[in-house]
Amino acid sequence: MRPSGVFDKNYGQDIAIVRTWQHWTVLIFGLILLYAFPFFGSYYLISFVNYLAISVIVALGLQIITGYCGLVSFGQSAFMAVGAYASSILTVRYGISFWVALPLSGVVAGIIGVIGGAPSLRVKGMYLALATIAIHALVIWLIMHLNITGGYKGMFPPSPELGSFAFDTDDRMYYIICTVMVVMTYFARNLVRSSVGRAFIAIRDNDLAAEVMGINLYYHKLLGFFMACFYGGIAGSLWAHLMTVINVEQFTLIHSLEYIGMLIVGGMGSVPGVFFGVIFIRTLNEVVMFTSPFLGQIFSWLGPSPSASLGLSTFGAVLILFLKFEPRGLAHRWEVFKASYRIYPFKIT
Amino acid sequence: MRKKSAVLLVCLLGVVLSITLLSSSSIAKEKKVFFLTLADLTGPAAGLSTPIDCAVRDYFKSVNEGGGVDGIEIDVIGVDSRYDTARAVSAYKRYRKRPKLLLTMSSSSGMGDAIQPMIERDKSMFLAPGSGERQGHLRRGFCFYGPYQDTFGAAVDWLMEDWKTKGKSGKPVLGYIAFDNAWGHEVMRGGKEYVESKGIKLLPPELFTPGTLKFDVYLTRLAKGGADYIYVEVCDPTPTYITRDAHALGLTKKIQMIHGPWGATKLGIESHPEALEGTVVVSWVLRGPEAEEHPLLRDLAIKHRGSLDYVTTGYTVGVGIAIFFEGALRKALADVGYEKINGQAMYEAYQKITGLENGGISGPCAYGPKSRRGTDTVKFYRIKGGKAVPLSDWTKSPDTISYHKNW
Repeated sequence: MRPSGVFDKNYGQDIAIVRTWQHWTVLIFGLILLYAFPFFGSYYLISFVNYLAISVIVALGLQIITGYCGLVSFGQSAFMAVGAYASSILTVRYGISFWVALPLSGVVAGIIGVIGGAPSLRVKGMYLALATIAIHALVIWLIMHLNITGGYKGMFPPSPELGSFAFDTDDRMYYIICTVMVVMTYFARNLVRSSVGRAFIAIRDNDLAAEVMGINLYYHKLLGFFMACFYGGIAGSLWAHLMTVINVEQFTLIHSLEYIGMLIVGGMGSVPGVFFGVIFIRTLNEVVMFTSPFLGQIFSWLGPSPSASLGLSTFGAVLILFLKFEPRGLAHRWEVFKASYRIYPFKIT
Repeated sequence: MRKKSAVLLVCLLGVVLSITLLSSSSIAKEKKVFFLTLADLTGPAAGLSTPIDCAVRDYFKSVNEGGGVDGIEIDVIGVDSRYDTARAVSAYKRYRKRPKLLLTMSSSSGMGDAIQPMIERDKSMFLAPGSGERQGHLRRGFCFYGPYQDTFGAAVDWLMEDWKTKGKSGKPVLGYIAFDNAWGHEVMRGGKEYVESKGIKLLPPELFTPGTLKFDVYLTRLAKGGADYIYVEVCDPTPTYITRDAHALGLTKKIQMIHGPWGATKLGIESHPEALEGTVVVSWVLRGPEAEEHPLLRDLAIKHRGSLDYVTTGYTVGVGIAIFFEGALRKALADVGYEKINGQAMYEAYQKITGLENGGISGPCAYGPKSRRGTDTVKFYRIKGGKAVPLSDWTKSPDTISYHKNW
């Protein structure tokens, strides 16, 4: 966000993520606030931020494949499951440190994602969406029936440790999760301004034209799936070691739909949009969840169901409202705001 | 414009003030204890969880209207978990530090497993449906009633008697059909070993994805395997659909269908009375006309819900749970008093209410220092003329948990 009159004078400035001293100030202040949060935030809020941060990582992956590359995936929570189980297997069965298991779980999920993403070479749109649903079902079925995954009982991964220090509470895990989120966000932001990111966007806008321009569709589509699933896998690993218990009920199709919903609300093809979408949907969920008992008390004659159904109905209503009135999501509002700031004191007409 | 803004501001202030007053008036009431339910009210198990949740609320409301337990009100904090572990964990984290939160009730065993580490750390306790895990590892999780495998074991005992009564020789062949999830598999931990110990042939379990609507393939396979009995361990409407398909295939003439504790609900029986005719149900609680005629259940449903239609299996289960909670609360209050009551006191009290009666809604309470079983008895019903008719009195379930060695 730059004020009026600040121009890029060279290519380096044009592609820089952090451009001005104001950007640096906000960034540094934001990071200090982020890392200082456990000192003044309540345990519940810290847990909530952990949950937000993990969701941001998952949704960033989905943004890469769906928002930038234009390939719809309903399998993101399955790839999160792959990461969660890969990390648990590595730590529990093979005694590998969490710090090694974390990136490996991303790689494992990425490789499974490349296999799962293979149909994208032949189909797209609705057909690809259905193929990813099938992949979700297959992954969950395999997890349920393999001995190494603990089957239906699930697994109990340990909390990460650094020497004798155990990250066994939410406020301790907070630092790991937030650091990973910051790194992954930087990586995603960096990716979209690289040649790979531009190739993704070209494929999304017109894959035929992209191919004619010399972009290798197979390579880039599979790379997109790898990256999306890598993100999902990393998030899954963090989730597993935060929860210290995992089972397939934690990675359902509904969760994948929620991530798609986050992109719709936040805005497709935008990294800030991921943050907007995740914060909006998760906060909405929490607000609805905690106002439900209160509403149940006031309108007790209605029983628990009307207040409870608010959860699903508000999610549905929000999606419909966004699709109708702001299909480009909150990121678009942010862009409008930035543009108005840029030309201030003039107005956008 | 200014006038409009002023009116809007006044309205806004009014709303904020009323909300504040309403919430403060509820907080101002003294001497309360809290019961957190992480019920699935809008997810896949809503059909079961919602009536349980309603029943718990109705019972506690009646208790509170009668002056509470020794003057202490029981406040239910209800959160719709949507069968989502993350939501359940989030809700528990939100409320775990609330003073006088005595117990958390989860609507799935998976959720119970997820919150268990925190419950252990908080020295609190939780209730979850019927996973044998609670009894296999004696910790702070308690079953609603009997573990699923014990209930299955009771059905095995019954079918052996039935086999003898029919004058048949040899041993019967048993089929098992259930969801392909933690619940469906759970029954076989101990259940399988128990069947084998009785010399009964158990066909390979037929497990299917939740949401399946047609069961012909599974049923035909069990029939070809020579099943004499089929035990259905899922929650209604699925057991009704399975029995409907068995009836359509003509299998119910040769094979005795047995439903687990969440099978053949009132709605299921009403929708497919012919198909369910003759089906046997193993129940933790009273069912059918017996439940509807029970004075407490009848009064609660009519008073709070306005109709006897609410006396479903879930509702009956919920009232039984609430009565055991009330009993444990009395015990905890007697032991430590209101000022010191907490999750730990409740955990200890639950282990001291062995034998507590809940007015015949289920068998007597079986919680104890070495037992996480709510009850260790079941009752058998048979569907006759569209009604669940009692087939037995309260019968002791076998301890199948002890048959499984790898907990």
